[in-house]
Amino acid sequence: MSYTNGSDPIGGVSDTVDDHAPVLVVKNLTTTFATPRGPLTAVDDVSFTLRRGTALGIVGESGSGKSVTARSIMRLLPKSNVTTTGEVSINGIDMMALSAKELRAMWGPEVAMVFQDPLGSLNPVMRIGDQVAEGLRIHHKVSRKEARATALQLLRSVGIPSPQTRLDEYPHQLSGGMRQRVVIAIALSCGPKLLIADEPTTALDVTVQAQILDLLSDQQSERHMPLVLITHDLGVVAGRTQEVIVMYAGRIMERARTPVLFRDMKMPYTEALFRSIPKVEYPSHTKLAIIPGRPPTMVGAVRGCRFAPRCRYAQSRCVEEEPELTPAVDRDHVYRCFYPVGTPEGEQALEINRSNGRLTPEGELVGVS
Amino acid sequence: MAGTGKAHLRDPEQTLLRAEDLVVEFPIGGTGAKVHAVSGISIDLVEGETLGLVGESGCGKSTTGKAIMAIPKPTSGSIKLDQVELTSLDDESLRRTRPVLQMIFQDPISALNPRRTVRDIIAEPLVVWWEEEEGRPATSVLFERYGRLFQRVAGVITKPLHYLMPLAFAALVLWIVSEAVEQRAWEGALGWTQVPAQIIGFPVLAALVAIGAVLLAMGLLWLGLGFIVPFGVVSKVLGKVSPAVGLAAAAFATATAVFMVWRTWNSFTGWPAWVLRFHLIGIAAVVVAWFVASLLKPSRAGASGIAAALVAVVALQAFYLAGLDGVPKLGVFVLSAVIDLVLFRLVRKQAAVRAEELRARAEPKVREMLETVGINPDTALDRKPYEFSGGQAQRLSIARALILDPKVIICDEPVSALDVSVQAQILNLLEEMKARYGLTLVFIAHDLAVVKNVSDRVAVMYLGKICEVARPDELFANPAHPYSQLLLSAIPHPDPLIEAHVTQVAADLPSPVDPPSGCRFRTRCPLAQERCASEEPEIREVAPEQFVACHFPLVGEAAQ
Repeated sequence: MSYTNGSDPIGGVSDTVDDHAPVLVVKNLTTTFATPRGPLTAVDDVSFTLRRGTALGIVGESGSGKSVTARSIMRLLPKSNVTTTGEVSINGIDMMALSAKELRAMWGPEVAMVFQDPLGSLNPVMRIGDQVAEGLRIHHKVSRKEARATALQLLRSVGIPSPQTRLDEYPHQLSGGMRQRVVIAIALSCGPKLLIADEPTTALDVTVQAQILDLLSDQQSERHMPLVLITHDLGVVAGRTQEVIVMYAGRIMERARTPVLFRDMKMPYTEALFRSIPKVEYPSHTKLAIIPGRPPTMVGAVRGCRFAPRCRYAQSRCVEEEPELTPAVDRDHVYRCFYPVGTPEGEQALEINRSNGRLTPEGELVGVS
Repeated sequence: MAGTGKAHLRDPEQTLLRAEDLVVEFPIGGTGAKVHAVSGISIDLVEGETLGLVGESGCGKSTTGKAIMAIPKPTSGSIKLDQVELTSLDDESLRRTRPVLQMIFQDPISALNPRRTVRDIIAEPLVVWWEEEEGRPATSVLFERYGRLFQRVAGVITKPLHYLMPLAFAALVLWIVSEAVEQRAWEGALGWTQVPAQIIGFPVLAALVAIGAVLLAMGLLWLGLGFIVPFGVVSKVLGKVSPAVGLAAAAFATATAVFMVWRTWNSFTGWPAWVLRFHLIGIAAVVVAWFVASLLKPSRAGASGIAAALVAVVALQAFYLAGLDGVPKLGVFVLSAVIDLVLFRLVRKQAAVRAEELRARAEPKVREMLETVGINPDTALDRKPYEFSGGQAQRLSIARALILDPKVIICDEPVSALDVSVQAQILNLLEEMKARYGLTLVFIAHDLAVVKNVSDRVAVMYLGKICEVARPDELFANPAHPYSQLLLSAIPHPDPLIEAHVTQVAADLPSPVDPPSGCRFRTRCPLAQERCASEEPEIREVAPEQFVACHFPLVGEAAQ
């Protein structure tokens, strides 16, 4: 392994590398937690690859396994009660084979992460400048003075006003949006080749959310750096990613290029998520379509499609056997459903459910308010 | 924005809730500076309407919601609920308005007590007000009233009590052993014990000190607990007692207490006397305090009088013994401590019985409420809040807010902590409850799409002022205030073909400690002119039912 000591933390890595070589390869990733009730499979056989310069969105409800996927890739999960199998390689380096010491060398220069709660990921008793410079001092072995200068540049590049004074302030003196900018500056400080953002805007206001997302996409395209953006909000991934993975109960349910997914979603779960978002175009007091119930707890073996109990399209076959990831018309578009949305099979399934009383005439599940 | 004015308010006769010129300021410790959280906001609601309050964090929307509830009371301004002015009410009268005006909070998990069952949490408002109706304030109300005193005293007392009780017991045993050993040594049967016997004399002293300390603590406990528990329980068990009987009882108790103190003051000598006297004073003080309380508030005299008499009689028995010759002093100490403990136990048991009774009475209503909000009562009743997901916990909060059949509910970011799919469930539930119970809602949120979905009228807030008030469909189609437009542009669209075009503005809100002059939005406003800094815009109607506080609105005649 060689670490790019020479790479410029502001400009990112040089652009001479092959653009089509995948930066992140995840193969058959499965993460299981040992719980008192038995093993809980939070991530179940997840595979995907990510090329340079692309942004990938991972979308799903709480408990769908999206954050655990990110933490498994980073190897941030505790050792004591977690088993992770499968392959994860970042720029050809096998993450699963690394020792704790080697991992520390990876975090920062190779892969960095932005977490949901900016206050929780900053050290409250350390000056902001020192926190931003810390990674540089450790990984790039630069002098204190140099690190401070770079930290200043980083704060400026993430759009923090008067960065000179901010360097010597503490996290509590900043607003939530400014703190998240600092966290992003820290993540970017060592010029990572991959950035994972886990719900980076969930704790923030709409206006600030838009700014942070813009900042992330700007940095991503400027540095030609792949980005994994994890969120529960389809609205967040729509404008800012090239590819989207929809997860449910630890499984990939649908994967497609972003425009394709929004134009031609095949998976009933994606459709249900989409329908539950209140949209500004709706007149006020529109009754929202909801997904009844809750995601299943992933303890023990699961039969059939995991979304079947909450699905408008579900037939008896869905409860019996689990669909495989099926390719759709578009390249790179796969989904996991027997009765996909917008196909004759799907329409037929809806019709059957309507006639056997599982759905109301309007097409909503019966017994749901 | 940043305007004052009341052009958007409707006829006071029609409105159910009306807040005028609401100002909330928080002083910054010691500096004399103030956080201007809310600066002159006026809003009104007609019955059955939902008002959406929307704005960024720090715009004062939550403070406005809380000011309406008077937690804390606004610095100035008027809040009228059903033509009753809330700001001039005293604490007790304000508390009596709570059943009409309820609140739902952002974080459902922390809004529910993690140590109580769903059954208790949902039933509590009902139980409190049943007790009120019958003239028996619930223990929780008493705790609220005397809680601070109780907490302080309990904190001081419980720790030493825990350590001292076993110590006192151990010392007592050692003392008895040492007495026996000493006797034998005296007889010369066991010569080797003579030296230890000198040392063993120490436990005797230790025993007395420990027991003395326990008694001291008991005296304090009377002072602290005596106000709350016996009064609450006596009033619960006996119900309404006529004030005349209560006053007589209290007078008798006071006489007894004074007699008791006088009679036993000189029964002891040396340091035990002071411990005992302190104990006596503690009890007498409680009795006298109740007497005074019953004189001041004759409506409550019945219960306080009986409680006072009860304590006085029990205490009198213990101290009468103290006057008898031949009863050892240590025995009196122990006896008085035991009587205190038994009394406390009794009181707690009775409280539990009464609580059980009320819980049984509330159960049908609690079950009905849970079913209404879509939770299965059979499985949920005995579980605790942390066993529920965020969405379910928010349903519980809604059930708790609804159980008293309120008229107005203030929803402070009720869906901000929830997932999109769950958010839709809760929004639909609120709409359904509104239709079913004819509720009037104040809905506070930072997500415009959510606010639009639930509101009949939306007020956009910025830095403690109102920018724009309009019907949601108009506001979203044609925002008149530049700030409304900024907020709208920031909404993420679930459609990749719509490019996010956020109007570029200075990132952060100005400090509410020193807000900008004139229009408060001018520092971030793309259209700001000199006039905006010098003159604060007044709210005016720019289109039918669309009110805006801006010199250069984007809608209406003035718009270019």
